[in-house]
Amino acid sequence: MPDAPAAPDASAGSGVSPQPRWRILVTPRWIGWHLFAVATVVGMMWLGDWQFRRALAGNTLSWAYTFEWPIFAVFGVFFWSKTIKDELNPPAQRTGQRDEITLPAGARSPGASHQAGPARVPGTGQPGPEDIELAEYNAYLARLQNEVKSHGKWHGLR
Amino acid sequence: MDADRLRAPVARAYRVMAYVTGTMLIVLCFVGIPLQVFAHSDGLEKVVGTAHGMLYMVYLVVAFAMTRLVRMRTASLGTVIVLAAGTIPVLTFVVERWVTRRYIEPALAAAPAGVVTEAAAGR
Repeated sequence: MPDAPAAPDASAGSGVSPQPRWRILVTPRWIGWHLFAVATVVGMMWLGDWQFRRALAGNTLSWAYTFEWPIFAVFGVFFWSKTIKDELNPPAQRTGQRDEITLPAGARSPGASHQAGPARVPGTGQPGPEDIELAEYNAYLARLQNEVKSHGKWHGLR
Repeated sequence: MDADRLRAPVARAYRVMAYVTGTMLIVLCFVGIPLQVFAHSDGLEKVVGTAHGMLYMVYLVVAFAMTRLVRMRTASLGTVIVLAAGTIPVLTFVVERWVTRRYIEPALAAAPAGVVTEAAAGR
């Protein structure tokens, strides 16, 4: 844990600037997760060692578990490093799964529709008011549809 | 993208492994272990126990790949439960149903493998 001692210095030096992304990894929640990861990996290695001793003592079946536990331990390390990587660089999905609806061409975002009205230049190929209204109404319907899409389903463990 | 093409097969592999691992675990817990404890016959427990151990390794890999492809967060209770479900009798089936409804089906509906992408490319 080479980062741990650096934490106080970083916060003391930068009073105004936003905290660096990795600071999230030293919150109590994440420290608990780190401890859990270390404990499970150590526990799995210990179980592997125990099975190895049993195998040497003559329990043939233990040979299988002797190799299984270290593999689980390796997976534990892999999973732990992935969670950290994901936390530091959130995958693109967070932006991709937003409730944003792509407005059809010519439509403005709902809030901007009133200000945008007078700015239209006649005779320059700008969409007429009906087109805009229709596009906005379609976008509104799409938004509603998106909101109710998951209604009536169990949302536990989100 | 590669992820779009992999999503459906990996999701299917996950569901198959969930059923296979879950069934092994039920046989192990509700037949093998009672036989071992009460009838002192550990033949079935040994075979099924080892098989479940091996299958769970495959389950872990496939289930983890699935959680990535359907965009579950890695550091979330849901992902941990999916991975752990292969070791808890009956839970495997419950979790498989939940993941399919909550993540796999929406993810597949959002990106029907290949078809939409090709149609879009043709335009």
